[in-house]
Amino acid sequence: MSEARHTRPLSALGRGDSPAFGGKSSMLGALIEAGIPVAPGFAVSTGAFRAFVREAGLGGKIAAELSRVFPGDVDSVVSASHAIGEAMRSAPVPDVVRHELAAAYAALAEQTGTPEPPVAVRSSALGEDGEDATFAGQLESYLWVRGADHVANAVRDCWVSLFGPPAIAYRAHVGQGEQAMGVAVQLMVDAEVSGVLFTCNPVSGDPSMVAVNASWGLGLAVVGGEVTPDDFLVSKVTGEVVRERVHVKEVEYVPDAGGRGAVRVDVPEERRAAACLDRRALEALVEIGRRVERAFGAHQDVEWALARERDLPDGLFVLQSRPVTGLRERQGPASDTAMGLVMSMFGAGERKG
Amino acid sequence: METAAPVGSFPSPYEVGTPPGCEGWEELYPYYALFDEERREADEKRFWFWNSMHFPLPMPAFDAICIDTAYQALGTWQNRVFAVPPAMGIDYRCINGYIYISGNPVTDPAKIGERVQHFQRRAGYYFEHWDELYAAWRTKMETLIAELEALEVPQLHELEPDDVAFADQETSFCAVLDAYRRALRLADVMWQHHFEFLLLGYGAYVTFTELCKTHLPDIPDQHIAQMVAGLDVLLFRPDAELRRLARLALDTEVDGAFVEGRTPEQIESELGGSEPGRKWLAELEAVKHPWFHMATGDGLYHYYGSWLDDPTIPYASLTGHIAALRAGEDIERPSDHIATERERLAGEYGALLDDEARKGFDELLALSRTVFPYVEEHKFLCDYWFLTTWWNKIRDFGALLAQHGFLEDREDVFQLSRLEVYSALDELLLTWATGGQPRGPTYWPPIVASRKELLARLADWTPPPAVGAVPEAILDPALIMLWGVTTQRVHAWAQADEDGSSLSGTPASPGVVEGPARVVRNVSELGDVRDGEILVCSITSPAWAPIFSKIQAAVTDIGGVMSHAAIVCREYALPAVVGTGRATSQIRTGQRIRVDGSAGSVTLLE
Repeated sequence: MSEARHTRPLSALGRGDSPAFGGKSSMLGALIEAGIPVAPGFAVSTGAFRAFVREAGLGGKIAAELSRVFPGDVDSVVSASHAIGEAMRSAPVPDVVRHELAAAYAALAEQTGTPEPPVAVRSSALGEDGEDATFAGQLESYLWVRGADHVANAVRDCWVSLFGPPAIAYRAHVGQGEQAMGVAVQLMVDAEVSGVLFTCNPVSGDPSMVAVNASWGLGLAVVGGEVTPDDFLVSKVTGEVVRERVHVKEVEYVPDAGGRGAVRVDVPEERRAAACLDRRALEALVEIGRRVERAFGAHQDVEWALARERDLPDGLFVLQSRPVTGLRERQGPASDTAMGLVMSMFGAGERKG
Repeated sequence: METAAPVGSFPSPYEVGTPPGCEGWEELYPYYALFDEERREADEKRFWFWNSMHFPLPMPAFDAICIDTAYQALGTWQNRVFAVPPAMGIDYRCINGYIYISGNPVTDPAKIGERVQHFQRRAGYYFEHWDELYAAWRTKMETLIAELEALEVPQLHELEPDDVAFADQETSFCAVLDAYRRALRLADVMWQHHFEFLLLGYGAYVTFTELCKTHLPDIPDQHIAQMVAGLDVLLFRPDAELRRLARLALDTEVDGAFVEGRTPEQIESELGGSEPGRKWLAELEAVKHPWFHMATGDGLYHYYGSWLDDPTIPYASLTGHIAALRAGEDIERPSDHIATERERLAGEYGALLDDEARKGFDELLALSRTVFPYVEEHKFLCDYWFLTTWWNKIRDFGALLAQHGFLEDREDVFQLSRLEVYSALDELLLTWATGGQPRGPTYWPPIVASRKELLARLADWTPPPAVGAVPEAILDPALIMLWGVTTQRVHAWAQADEDGSSLSGTPASPGVVEGPARVVRNVSELGDVRDGEILVCSITSPAWAPIFSKIQAAVTDIGGVMSHAAIVCREYALPAVVGTGRATSQIRTGQRIRVDGSAGSVTLLE
């Protein structure tokens, strides 16, 4: 078999691979490179998307539909999105890509010892290392996908989401640029608990804190705002839990009993009001937060999952990391010398005249 | 500056009633110490809070010297020496024997501007020469204490000594009054020394705290204190010496004498019966001076003697340490760990800041560490060593008066004001010289008796945390630094629901525990504290060390993160919430409470 052109193991990627594999995949590669636990998987190149568009002859159709979009005209956006989506979904994934996907999926199966391992298929848009924050929620992810054919279809569904109404509207607003995207295919983490952590307090801007939001099940419930998650503020310096607010968590996402996809269910009564993280889990999360921050050299917003029936720290996986944006600028005191500051404390700061 | 409109209210100082049977309490205090009708218009508009940190009990007439002289000294240094720009000194008033204080602000911008110049010049000089000035200060204090210790109260004999007749020695009249005047003068000087560095010391520390909170808004106060805290401060020496003596007792196999429940006399008598025991006692003697000059309480009252006066506390501590050693426990203060943790915290927090903030952080941390020895050590030298010795000198004057029938007991001297004592001595010396019949023996004892009864009744009254107007903001650096009284804290007091089931205060030492409360309003109640209880008090003292090994947590009415309860709790790794305003009045002994030392909350569970 010839060397794969369209897929590559996540562990072989780094920050420089963003143009070829998209932001998310290269970010996951960078995390792995920094020794941060990430579920194994592979990346699908932006070239695969281009090959798909080219071989199916969709270029003209897409350009024509987009030319009819007027920024601010919702109907024009929806109708273009619909037409492009229809056309893409009825076009085949090129054989070469399909074979490579199947091979990479088989390798993952072999690696995990599971014949048809469930995977998450996520969009990996063009952009710097994961800094596609503005795309958050505009591009799709498909969870609990099993079998090579389903993986290929999910990859195509991700491509389609590049022309979803929000994405078209966004690009109409900021300029179209190049339309291409990569895809990340990762072994599914059967999350008992999942959530988000910030490597600083996003509200106060305190860099010595890690803020954690967590709820039962897969991360959809937290990211989608469907539950009020448990909320922790933990000192990065001492590991002390400075704030702990446990909320009633009504729903969670779990794998569908049929083995494909995720379903929303009610959280059993006895777990609803219980804290979903203990001190050990928080400690492990703080450690992960510190490492991610160090690896990227800036405050990060990290999605994570704690695998069911896996012990810490092996059960903890990072799913995504992006820089924290829009942090409140901390207003430093006017005077910068220690003596000037002490003088101000006594109401004897520097005065003019 | 941002200020919230004040919500809630405090009672007017003029509407606070006199508890039944306490009528006439006013006569114990100077005329200027009362809320009088003449100053009503101004005084009602001011914010006054109960200084339960220093005066948790109704003031005996003599002890009121610690109010006048201390606020005189505070005002001198803050207002007349350093000219702190926005604040002059502290006024006080007395209600039912309890002391309420209020700051005097400087409001004229032109005047503030002038004071800025003076403050920068003078305070700048102190900060610049801190180490040498502080070394000189230590010498001054030690000299002062030596002078106090050497002070003798002359006795009155049937005849003046020969030296008066043949060697021009001064007469007893002059000698007694001079000794009394010198005793008062030494206290005046001590209080002046006490406040010389206090504001600047706390000021540097509070500035560092503010800087930390600006750049690290969620940093727990205790981490700031841990970064600054001294490693080898005088205050921890007495207990360190006890630990050493405990080990010595085991090493020389005299530990059998230390049985829980024995009195110090019983222990010493058994030790005196053997050679190794006598050696151990000799070692103890060597430690006593100065380390047993710890006070048994933190308030400025004659009630609080030193470990020398009442060795119950150090012996209980020794017995506890010995039992722990026998059980194989490590009783060392983990100073290596404290040192490592202090540097680790400073390094990690510093590394989180950008270069500019880092510079201020490093400089202020260094300055805070420079001033910190004073902040901790003045307590031992002034409040403990000097004051406990000084109260004993006053007792000697009491003994002189008692010897001549002016008082029934030397302790009764504390029921007279310092001017009344002067007056009684005057009359004693007059009638001793003339041979006439003194009026004192029939005049003073009934006054003493009625005042003792009054103080006992006043002790049962619960003072409101504050009276007068709710201020829009607290801007006085002294109130913020020394009492931890901030705008936020005062507004919380004003809104507090007296029947509420929770209290909030300053989180001073982390951790959460539940347990039965033990409300201690007087040092004499310390013996009631049982294992596993949560100490609830106005304020604690490091001299209470032995009970900190019994309790699970501490809650105080007043104090900030630098208060001694906070420092000791961090030392003992116990949760603490300080500055709750009304813990001792809202919590009752035996009640189950939950203390969250990280959040600063106390929940009444029943």
